[in-house]
Amino acid sequence: MERFMTTSGLKRRVLIVDDEIINRELLGAILSQNYDTAFAANGEEAMELLSDPEAYYSLILLDLMMPVMDGFEVIERCRADERLRRIPIIVMTSEKSAEVRSIRTGAADFITKPYDMPEVILARCERTIELSEDESIIRSTERDKISGLYTRDYFFAYLHRLIPRLDVPMDAVALNIDRFQLINEILGRQEGDRILKCAGDLISDMLTSSIGIACRGENDTFFVFIERRDDYLELTKQMQKKLDSMAGGRHLHLKAGVYSCEPGEGDPEIWFSRAKAACEGIRGSFGTYCARYSNELYERMVFYERLISDVNDAIENRDFVVYYQPKYNIQGERPKLVSAEALIRWNHPELGFISPGEFISLFEKNGLIRKIDYYVWREAATQIKRWRKLYGTEIPVSVNVSRVDIFDTGLESKLSDILDEFSLDPSLLMLEITETAYSGSADRLIEAVDNLREKGFRIEMDDFGTGYSSLNMLTSIPIDILKLDMQFIRRMLMDQKAYRLVEMMIDIAGFLDAAVVAEGVEKEEQLKALKKMGCDIVQGFYFSPPLPAERFGELIEKELKEREGSYADN
Amino acid sequence: MLTIDRLKDFGADTDEGLARCCENEALYLRLVNILPADENFDVLEKALAEGDLDKAFEAAHALKGILGNLSLSPMYELCSRITELLRSRAEADYLTLVTELLAQRDVLRTMCAE
Repeated sequence: MERFMTTSGLKRRVLIVDDEIINRELLGAILSQNYDTAFAANGEEAMELLSDPEAYYSLILLDLMMPVMDGFEVIERCRADERLRRIPIIVMTSEKSAEVRSIRTGAADFITKPYDMPEVILARCERTIELSEDESIIRSTERDKISGLYTRDYFFAYLHRLIPRLDVPMDAVALNIDRFQLINEILGRQEGDRILKCAGDLISDMLTSSIGIACRGENDTFFVFIERRDDYLELTKQMQKKLDSMAGGRHLHLKAGVYSCEPGEGDPEIWFSRAKAACEGIRGSFGTYCARYSNELYERMVFYERLISDVNDAIENRDFVVYYQPKYNIQGERPKLVSAEALIRWNHPELGFISPGEFISLFEKNGLIRKIDYYVWREAATQIKRWRKLYGTEIPVSVNVSRVDIFDTGLESKLSDILDEFSLDPSLLMLEITETAYSGSADRLIEAVDNLREKGFRIEMDDFGTGYSSLNMLTSIPIDILKLDMQFIRRMLMDQKAYRLVEMMIDIAGFLDAAVVAEGVEKEEQLKALKKMGCDIVQGFYFSPPLPAERFGELIEKELKEREGSYADN
Repeated sequence: MLTIDRLKDFGADTDEGLARCCENEALYLRLVNILPADENFDVLEKALAEGDLDKAFEAAHALKGILGNLSLSPMYELCSRITELLRSRAEADYLTLVTELLAQRDVLRTMCAE
């Protein structure tokens, strides 16, 4: 680290605030010898510059008497702001009374007018910056107890101090152990902590041969500020290999996100939030170890932020529309409409149609999916009741129950309340759960499924065959319906193995006494093959795409006429 | 044209002024050139004419800072006197003092324009 402290490549930035251009120019000439300088002619301009999240200032030189917004107000506003609070302020004045008042509000030092000689001013600025940086470093605890690396606070305090003195290009790297939650859940917290310690040791080892510092950012994410290199992929793979063996041969998934820091630009916190975003972008994608932050990723983040902030409005304004895809029983002489799956669409008033693929996984990550699910449950219940009134028949509708819903202990009563409100039988709201969501935490799932079935709900296992614990899960969770994932159906006619797999899954369903629904059926040949295998129910574009409730109503009408027709034939 | 020698004749402590400008002569002369146009001179004159001593104090105070920074000693000393009098809201012959200050400003302006 010594090398950091002695080199001086990049300059710290100082903001000079004075309404007199002569004073600004004079100070600018003095300070630009050692610092980057920025200027503001009044408090308002100063606050505008300071509010730029990409700009990092090490010091503010502030005139107290200015038009528009005076220096006292600037001090107060900075004190009230989490990010600006740490920037030391030197006030420039010749008023003794003002000095007392400003030191009470939090100024670090004074420069009197007329100014002292340049050397004196530079020395005072330098000392003030140093003191404030030392203070912020001393304030934070240095080491993270679990990983042995720096704590997050210390790391960033250190970085602010370090950056102006660096003369080599650096990268911000976020390292994350994918699905670390599972390790804690399955092996326990103690073992989880031990693995975090191993990761911390590996990072420390790496830093003995490179310039850099590291901390544990949060939970299982590490931040490494490191001299730029081009072998992050190799590095991550190597670290994962070592980590696997330290973790007793368990296979861990290490992911790295990299952001190349632009010298003199931006705030270290932003660099690392970008590195972290790059890392999160490859979460769960098998075989991808490393990703770089890109503009595209930035735009996606902005887009996601927008979606998150618009959810509540969208629910209130009913911008979410539920579509219904019909499911047909194909085992009789003619396919019979038996039920529907509720699928959500988002018609955003400004962004237009947003695919569920864009927002479902996003909302699953942050828990907002609970609101969406609840909305769909109520919509579906309303619709079932409406169709009953219109056509005198009850069409069961499948709705999604996400992982977070399952962990909500109020789930069972929420669903029952909806049914009571619309006076519907529980068998009419079929609940789809996804197997992949529960590895390692099946207890609550089993409990919830048992409770719900007791109340009369039917449980469907969605995307069957795509998860990694399928068979094991099936023996302990009572399921009424298995839904075969559409990727098997799509491949079954081209790929002998996929064909065999579908046959086997239908056999398994038979063994478990569960009905089988095949999703994504598009062709007649697929339909025929599935019928031959004994698949009961089919859904897909062969019959119909998801439809708005009214259009679905037409299918119900048609179905009722055909039923009458077939009764008449008999 | 304004030169260091002429500023010296004007009474400025040019050694100090130049040192404050990091010995950058061009910068020093450029900043002195800006001074005569500073609006605080007019604000000061007008505020005194209207009897607004608060405003007059602010303007004098601001001028004092600039004049001191440029080491224009005669003007700085005069302006300091005005500032201190205004600070205590003392009864004084402000008109004469300010007229003298403005006259010096005009001399400087002429020097700059020549």
